[in-house]
Amino acid sequence: MDPIFIVGLVVAIALFFDFTNGFHDTANAMATPIATGALKPKVAVAIAALMNLAGAFLSTTVAKTISVDMINDGVSITAQMVFAGLTGAILWNLTTWFLGLPSSSSHALFGGLIGSTVTYFGLAGVNFAKMIEKVFIPALFAPLVAGLVAFIATKVAYVITARSQAERKETDISTGRNKFKIGQIFSSSLVALSHGTNDAQKTMGVITLVLVAGGVQASGDHVELWVVMSAAAAIALGTYAGGWRIIKTLGTGLSEIRPPQGFAAEVSTAVTILASSKFGFALSTTQVASGSVIGVGLGRKGGVVRWNKAGQIFVGWLLTLPAAGLVGSLSALLTMQGDWGLIVDGLLTLAVAAAIFTISRRNRINSTNLLSEVEGASEVVLSARQIQANAKAQKKADAKSKKKSKKGKK
Amino acid sequence: MNITINWSAFIQVLAAALGFTTLIVACFSTGVRLLTNAQNVASKARKGNAKAEQSESLNLIGAYLTFAVCLSALAYGIYLVVPFLPH
Repeated sequence: MDPIFIVGLVVAIALFFDFTNGFHDTANAMATPIATGALKPKVAVAIAALMNLAGAFLSTTVAKTISVDMINDGVSITAQMVFAGLTGAILWNLTTWFLGLPSSSSHALFGGLIGSTVTYFGLAGVNFAKMIEKVFIPALFAPLVAGLVAFIATKVAYVITARSQAERKETDISTGRNKFKIGQIFSSSLVALSHGTNDAQKTMGVITLVLVAGGVQASGDHVELWVVMSAAAAIALGTYAGGWRIIKTLGTGLSEIRPPQGFAAEVSTAVTILASSKFGFALSTTQVASGSVIGVGLGRKGGVVRWNKAGQIFVGWLLTLPAAGLVGSLSALLTMQGDWGLIVDGLLTLAVAAAIFTISRRNRINSTNLLSEVEGASEVVLSARQIQANAKAQKKADAKSKKKSKKGKK
Repeated sequence: MNITINWSAFIQVLAAALGFTTLIVACFSTGVRLLTNAQNVASKARKGNAKAEQSESLNLIGAYLTFAVCLSALAYGIYLVVPFLPH
C-alpha cells in the first residue's frame, strides 16, 4: 500500500483521538461553572470550545517538541506503531468516559504508544523508571496539591465574605457570594485556554512525528498549517460535543458546588497547572481539576466527600497507562501483520467506539455511571442533607422490598 | 531502576500554587465584600446622607482595586499560557 495512504490513516485516527481528548476534558474547566449556574450549559461548552480552539493556535511553537521519553532512545517510531498506540488511547478514553471516571488523556496517549512499542521492540524499548516518574508520582501529587490549595482557598473565600447574623439583620443584605459567579466565567475560561495550549499540541506533535517518519515532511522543526488547523478544529469540536452530552447527564451531580467553591476550584486548577508547567513538574489537568473539586468540597462547612468514589477515580488513574498500553500492544499485533492488519485494526476501533456511543445513548438519562470527568469527582462531594435524603430513600426502598418478600412468602 | 523525584520543582509548584491562589481568591472575596458593603449603603447615599455617600465611594474604590488585582493576575496567567509572548 502507498505509504502516503498509511500516513493519511494515522492522521485521521490522530484527529479522532484529539476529538475524544476534547470531550473527555470539557468538564475540567466547565463542570464547576455549570454546577453553580455561573454559565448556562450550552454557553459553557461553547466558551470552552472557543478557548481550546484559540489555545491550539497559540501553542504551535511547543508542538514540535513532543517527545515520549518513556520510550527509550534506540526505538525508531513508525506510522504503524503510532496507529496502534492511538487506537489504545482512544478506546481507553471512551471506556473511562462511559464509566464516568475522570482520567488523563495524555496518560492514555503515552500508554497506547508504550504498549505498541512493547509489541514491536519488547520490554527493552520502555523506560519504566521514567514511567513511574512521569505518570504514577504525579498522579499522587496532583490531587494532593490541588486539593490542599483549593481547600485553603475555599476557607479564605468563606471567611472573608462571612457576615454575622446581627449584621445581616441590621443591613438586610446577603453575603453577596453569588458575585463569585462573575469571577467563575474568567477563571474557568483560563482553565479551558490552558487546556487548549497543552492538549491539542500533543496531537499536533504526534501527527508531525508521523509525517516526518513517512517522509511527507522533511524535518520536524515546524508544524504544517493544515495540521494546526485540523487539530484545533478536532479538539474544539470534541469539547463542544462532549460538553453537550455531559450536561444531559449532569442534573443533580454538581448542584452542591456553590459559587465561592466553584471560583476557588477553578483558580486553584488554573494556577496549579500554570505553576506545574512553569517549574517543569508536569501534572495532569484532569487530575488537578478533580483534586480541586474534592478540596473545595471539604473546604465548605457541611461538605462531605464520598471517599469510595474518590478511590474508584484514583484506581482509574493508575489503570489508565497499563490499560491503554494493553489495547495498544494488542493493536500492534494486528498492525504488524501488514496493511490488512492496519485496516482491520482501524475498523475494529471504529466498531468498538460506535458500540460504546450506542450503549451510552441507550441509558444516558437514568444511569448514574454516565457522569463524566470532574462530575465524577464532584459527585464525590455530597452535602450532609443529600446524604440524609439518600439514606431515607434507601430505607424506604428496603422497607418496600421487605414487604414484597413477605408477600411472596405468604 | 533509577527514579528521581524533582523535589525542589515540586516544592516550587506547591508554594506558587498556594500563594497565588490564596492571593487571587482573597482579593476577589474582599472585592465581593466591599461591593456588597457599597450596595448596602446605596439607598441611604442616594437620599443625600453624607456619611453613607462617603462610605459608598470608599467601598467602591476598594472593590475596584481588588478586582483590578484579580484582572492583572488573569492577564499574567494568559501571558504564561501563550508561548508567542516573549518570556
